[in-house]
Amino acid sequence: MRKITVLLLFVCLAATTSFGGGYQVGLHGVRNIGMGLIGTSLSYDASSLFYNPGGASFVNDKWSFSGGIDFIFGRATFQAKDENYQATIKHDVNTPFYFYAAFKPTKKLSVGIAINAPYGNRLSWKDDNGADWQGRYLIKDLSFKAITYQPTVSYRFNDIIGIGVGFVYATGTVDMTRAIPIQGATGDGSLHIKGSTSNIGFNAGVMIHPDQGWSIGIDYRSKIQMKVKNADATFEVPVSLSTSFPNNKVDVMLPLPANLDLGVSYEFGKRKQWMIGINLCYVFWSTYDSLVFDFKTKTPAIGRTANASLYQDQMIERIGAQYRINKTVTVRVGGYYDPSPVSSNYLNPQTPSLTETGLTCGLSVYPMKGFSIDASFLYLMGAKRSGTYSPDNFAGTYRTGFSIPGIGLSYSF
Amino acid sequence: MNIMKKFLFIILSLALFASCERKIDKFTASANGLDFSNFVSVGNSLTAGYADGALSRVGQGYSIPNIMATQFKTVGGGEFRQPLLSTDDGVGFQQVPGGIYCYTKMVLKLNPDKDCYGTPLGTMSIKPGFASNPDQGTLQGQLFAAPTVAGPYNNMGVPGATLETLFYPGYGSAMGNPFFTRFATSPATTILADAIAQHPTFFYLWIGNNDALASALAGTDMFLTPVDTFAKYYPLAVGALMGSGKNPKGVVATIPDITSIPFFTTISKQLPWNGVPLDATQAAQLNALYGLQGHPEIVWKAGLNPFVYKKENGTLAQLEEGDLFLLTLPTDSIKCRGMGIVDTTKHPLPYIYPIPGKYVLDKSELANIRGRIIAYNAVIRNVAKSQGLALADMNQYLPQFESGMVFDGVKMTTAFVTGGMFSTDGIHLCPRGNAIAANLFIKAINDQYKCAIPQVNITSYPGLIFP
Repeated sequence: MRKITVLLLFVCLAATTSFGGGYQVGLHGVRNIGMGLIGTSLSYDASSLFYNPGGASFVNDKWSFSGGIDFIFGRATFQAKDENYQATIKHDVNTPFYFYAAFKPTKKLSVGIAINAPYGNRLSWKDDNGADWQGRYLIKDLSFKAITYQPTVSYRFNDIIGIGVGFVYATGTVDMTRAIPIQGATGDGSLHIKGSTSNIGFNAGVMIHPDQGWSIGIDYRSKIQMKVKNADATFEVPVSLSTSFPNNKVDVMLPLPANLDLGVSYEFGKRKQWMIGINLCYVFWSTYDSLVFDFKTKTPAIGRTANASLYQDQMIERIGAQYRINKTVTVRVGGYYDPSPVSSNYLNPQTPSLTETGLTCGLSVYPMKGFSIDASFLYLMGAKRSGTYSPDNFAGTYRTGFSIPGIGLSYSF
Repeated sequence: MNIMKKFLFIILSLALFASCERKIDKFTASANGLDFSNFVSVGNSLTAGYADGALSRVGQGYSIPNIMATQFKTVGGGEFRQPLLSTDDGVGFQQVPGGIYCYTKMVLKLNPDKDCYGTPLGTMSIKPGFASNPDQGTLQGQLFAAPTVAGPYNNMGVPGATLETLFYPGYGSAMGNPFFTRFATSPATTILADAIAQHPTFFYLWIGNNDALASALAGTDMFLTPVDTFAKYYPLAVGALMGSGKNPKGVVATIPDITSIPFFTTISKQLPWNGVPLDATQAAQLNALYGLQGHPEIVWKAGLNPFVYKKENGTLAQLEEGDLFLLTLPTDSIKCRGMGIVDTTKHPLPYIYPIPGKYVLDKSELANIRGRIIAYNAVIRNVAKSQGLALADMNQYLPQFESGMVFDGVKMTTAFVTGGMFSTDGIHLCPRGNAIAANLFIKAINDQYKCAIPQVNITSYPGLIFP
């Protein structure tokens, strides 16, 4: 009976609406968030299905479930260059979620499914004086989210090495509005694009336990090309120009970059109460060189546009530790450094990518054996950054700050 | 579970604390010792806020110095009073025998296209048209009524003013310029006298445009202010302002070249100078006709021929490459009546029909006008330099908009209507264009006096309004 209640809880969590917090979101396990978002070398629970499929077969329990939700509170501020002007993104609370379930039919084999939201971006810029904001011709409102469903197989050859691979099915939706600098009696024109898509990729990893307490994980998550085909494009322009801006279908192409992760961790102390780990995550951001809009009905005013972004590959560095106080309580702490993939000439209010530093802490409480309530807190600071989106000559300084509490449940038996 | 509750409490408090931090310092404005408390601007229509072929209350609100004055408020600027009209539809006028003829500003309208017989073609085009059609009494009443706010007026911009007219006693009399008459302190005063009587602490002077433009708009180079006159009066105007009592600092501006102005460039982009295709028979017929009617010097050939126009001295000539049509050219007469070739509506014989010279600036006129503007600007730059004044170099800035400049995702060009910079008259800037000009003035002041006055957000100013 208890098991059923717990399972029902998971289902409720998974059904909650979700929105990503940045273009690539790292919130995939409350326990992992607590220790600086590391996970590639860990095999504590079903979240291994995502962090490193090679590690899932090292999880000892026959069944393991893990699910959770994060609440992204925060804001981004923009100060225009040389102007007495500020605008902010006042986020509604965004809530990315995850759900993992793994089953071990044999001791060496694990199968499972991972569902989460590794990419997303949602923002709505507001002028501090309540007017239409200065960057509205670049972006007004944007909601982009990708949810991945990843059935996974993991096999452990022996106590030292395991491998795993997951097939990734990703669904994505995009909903964006920007103003068009053509004015009628009621003000600016606008363009609203709304559509959805799906595509596939994979996630493969290797887990190695070379020595007592040591663990090394390598994981590669492939790029997924999200091509939103035939999204609805609705123009609102003065009637005299409506033939130049026909309501339309548009293809939007946005790549979800590949990630290569390397994690090393070490357990030590009495009954291995302590664990410390590092994680290097190489993000192949250079795949995102432009955001392409290709309108189906072309006119001299609208056609195919590529908004240059020219992202560059970046390495995210993470460190985390956990300490098992006793059978009931485990605490965690960590931090990470996530350098911005975009140069100052392409810093864009559509995705104000700042170099971010995250500080994390977390806690698990086990009210019964195998069942834990997990909580985490991530404080994410975007370094203040000045730049110009050169193609649109949009210049200013950005700063972001996010507080992200998370809560999850893990159950294994 | 107690520890869990404590933990949740801690993280929620952290969340609240953290989400209110992370602000950015606002722009720090600095006057660097300058006194902006009494800012007075002197100039012509570009300064008055004239746009869309008329002066209107809404246009005055978007005048360049008024936009600047809102920014000066961050560095101790005071109230900026303008001689506001009561009407948003505005009043413009032209001289006619015995007085003036008034009209409202022009707005973009959607009109059905018609062929030469007036039959609708089923398509629509956007063209400027009068905002409304009040009677002459109403319009003249609005023009001559006292401004809706009391003076003295910080904005002394008077549409039509030239450098010399700043000094004309009586320019504000019943016989003077109605745009000054409506707010001059007395019929005998001058624009400059009313400006210096206010003892400005900071001044703006953008004058000289009409010294070249008034002639160019008439399609001639005959009414240009002589260079020595300009060189004599410009330092006098600046000197009068600088000597007005409060030892003011100031900003002056150069005069844009007329080829940066859509009024002079738009039609020639659509209608080639040699837009008369003829075969040998047609050419022979035209030669016979022109010979018969006393103009054998005009020679038509098979192929593309230039239009014929009548110079100011009365002689006929064929256009050459580089000659410019003005925006006022009646293109319907070209299309439907044979203007520039022969008047096909005349019977029994078609009659030669040159384009009136007022619609054409030929190359020599253009060269004279441009040369004169260069000479005026040399005077302006010299005076700015010798007096240590800020210089907004509009002459150097506007050509950058010919291929377009982008601000905050808005591409602005000097193209007529579509460029988003000039108003519907093709000569004066629209509010967003004025905001860009105001930013250039502010930048010039910041550069010269090392102050930090914030630029304006140009997206908060409207461009052209489409129907």
